[in-house]
This record gives sequence, structure tokens and C-alpha cells, in this order.
Amino acid sequence: MTPTIISFELNGRETHVMVMPLTPLQRVLREQLGFMATKTGCRQGGCGSCTVHVDGEPMASCLMPIEDVAGRKVTTLEGITPATGLHPLQEAFFQNFATQCGYCTPGMIMTAKALLDRNPHPDRQAIIEALSGNICRCTGYEPIIQAVEIAADRMDGQGG
Amino acid sequence: MAVQNYFLPQSVDEAVELLAAHGDSLLVMAGGTLTMPLINDGISAPEKVMGLRQAGLNYTGMANGSVILGATATLSQVIEHGHIPMLRQAASSAASWTIRNMGTVGGNLFAPPPAGDLAVALLALDAELNLHSARGSRSVPLADFYKGFMSTVMAKDELLLEIEVPAPLGRTAYVKYGRKHSHTPSVVTVAAHLVLDDGLVTKARIALGAVGPHPLRAQAAESYLQGKTLSESHIASAASIASEECEPFTDAIASEWYRRRMVKVYVARMLQQIAAEEASS
Repeated sequence: MTPTIISFELNGRETHVMVMPLTPLQRVLREQLGFMATKTGCRQGGCGSCTVHVDGEPMASCLMPIEDVAGRKVTTLEGITPATGLHPLQEAFFQNFATQCGYCTPGMIMTAKALLDRNPHPDRQAIIEALSGNICRCTGYEPIIQAVEIAADRMDGQGG
Repeated sequence: MAVQNYFLPQSVDEAVELLAAHGDSLLVMAGGTLTMPLINDGISAPEKVMGLRQAGLNYTGMANGSVILGATATLSQVIEHGHIPMLRQAASSAASWTIRNMGTVGGNLFAPPPAGDLAVALLALDAELNLHSARGSRSVPLADFYKGFMSTVMAKDELLLEIEVPAPLGRTAYVKYGRKHSHTPSVVTVAAHLVLDDGLVTKARIALGAVGPHPLRAQAAESYLQGKTLSESHIASAASIASEECEPFTDAIASEWYRRRMVKVYVARMLQQIAAEEASS
């Protein structure tokens, strides 16, 4: 077993890590690079708390071998958070009490961001469908769905 | 023991060479949505793993009226480019968005029940698999692919390259019945594909998921329908036959008892749906 160096783009910055074979992207982010927004949930792809974007597509980082993202673009919640203030989705989640314990929030926001990137004005059903892979055990989902609707209205297709 | 080697072949040739060289000791992984959970939990501890994400098999296309799916085309790619409505519906019914962005068509064929919804649609559509090794290629109908629970006719050095899905000749209907609307394991999945001529069934395909050791065809129900009309009583009998010939199991999602009854309900509903479409055409 030999460690190898993997290079990829993380939140717009060229990043190099030395890893053991088949280390999940999620562990590299948290344990090696200190990007703690991406959570360690079920490690089964079932909870959505580790959701990041790989080349713009939402994916479960716990199931993604780090070798497979070599040369690709990875975006975490840290990557969409502005230097000051909050992303409209973060702001809507915060103001609408869409977080309680907050553990699912980074994954929820990354999935919601990917949805709004593709469909700036999703209807309620599209939001529910998109977020169905993100589990929340606190809120009952309603404030989360509303927060995405509010953020979509405020962003009005302007990205962010 | 942790994984010692992770190979990422850049071509099919390289992949089959690795398979020939390492044989059984090499765990083949595509999207990782079945394999990585087992490795993360220490249930599976392979020494050598081969990932197929970069082997050039993530394509979709059309040839001679058939849909061609590279083995590592993702379920999301099938939804976008699948052409056949039932195929797209089956891919949409699997897992969640993030997992559909990772999970592959080829990998889905190896998913242990109750997972593996795509194979149910592919069975009803008479899909053919292209298996490849350093020794050569062969084509196997999906209907002849499974031997038992997590067991197939593939040789140790063979790789699934491509799936060919002929355009349906008749009407199709698909349902995945789960405990939630989406991101849910299957209680039962039913795919039906019927060719009708002047009101009579000339070809019947009824495929079932989550009610056997692997996705399977309800062949007795198919034979029963041959040459018959889609009358209420024929539909009820075919659904009964299907519920008797399948082999459901009990798990955390549903009991064997319940699954068998739901086969009867959902096979009947799929046949009724097709009958209604035929009547209104």
C-alpha cells in the first residue's frame, strides 16, 4: 500500500493531497483539509449530509474515492459561502428556522444549490423530489422546503 | 486490512487486462454506490479494487433502433438520454438524485434485491448484455444472466461492457411500489411490456423486482396471457399466477406475505393500464 498524491480543484483552488488508496473524498475534506461543513453521516450514501458538487453535479462524497476526482472540480459549502455574509440559501435557511441541530444543513444547501442552478424557479414538488435524498431528523422538512422557495424567489435566477 | 491497490484503468483493454491478471482477487466497482458503503463499514475488505469511472464506458447512444447504454453510464444519464420512456421511469425511481449521479446502469444489474430497479425494466424490454474479456466478446440476454442471489453467468475474467435495449414493440407500464414516494427501497417493482394485435396478446413480458433472489420474469403469467384478450378476468388470473410463481422474501421493508399480495395488485394495475391505453387508441 503506497500513498499517492492526488490533485484536484477544491472551491476554485488547486489542491494536492497525499492519500491512501480508495480514501473517500468526504474523509479527505474533513480529516486532511479541515473543511468541516461536509458531514460524516451514514457513510452509505443514504443520508445526504456529505453532499458536495463534483463538476457541478451533487454527489455523495462518502462514496467517492478521492482518486476518482483527480483533475475535477469539487465544491463544498465553504465554496459557496461569500467572504462576508451568507449565500441567499444560507440566509433563507437561517431566517426560516430551517436548521435545528444543523447537521443536515450543508448537504441540504448543496443539493438545493444544484437544483437552483438547473431550475431557478422549481415548484414545490421539484424541491421535495430533489431533496428526497437528504435526511433531516429535526425539522419535519417543511421549513427547509419553504427556505428553498424563499431563496429561489430572492435569487430570481441570478445564481449566487 | 485496508485496500492495498486501487486501479483506475483508462480503457476497456486495460480493464480486461487487469481482470485477467488479478482474476477473482480484484473487486470491480463502477459508481461505488453499492461497494463503497460495504468498504466504509468494514463489511467488505478487498485488497484490490478496480474502478471503472475512467474506462470510457459512460456513454449512451442509439444503434439500429436500439438504445445503447455503456456499462458505466449513470442513472442520471439514462434519465436524460434513455429515449425509451420506461427506461427513464425506472432510472428515475432509483435512489436519490446524488446517488443517481453516481450509480451506473451496469452496477445496478448487480444490486442485491430489493435494490436493482433498472433490471426489471430491462428484462421487460428484452435487453441484451455485451460481456467482454481478454478472450473475446459475447452477447447474453438479460433473461439468461442471473443464476441466483448475487450470482450471474459472467466468468471471472469478464466485464460487462454495454447494454442494448431494443425499442419496445408494444405498450409498456412500470411501477416501483415503495414505502415513500422517492428515495425508497422497493416493496415490489413491476415492468410490463405487451404487444397486442386486434385485441389479442401476441407477446407478453412481465418482469418483477424485489420478489426473488434477483430481478425475474413471471414466465407462467406471460405464457398464460399469450393469445388472450386483456379482459378483467384474464388480467386477474395473470396477476394471480405472477404472485404464485415469484419468490418474495421478508426484510425490513416488507414481509414475504405482503410482497406476494402486492405483486398481485400491481401486476393487475399495470395490465389494466395497458388495456386502458389500448382501448382508448
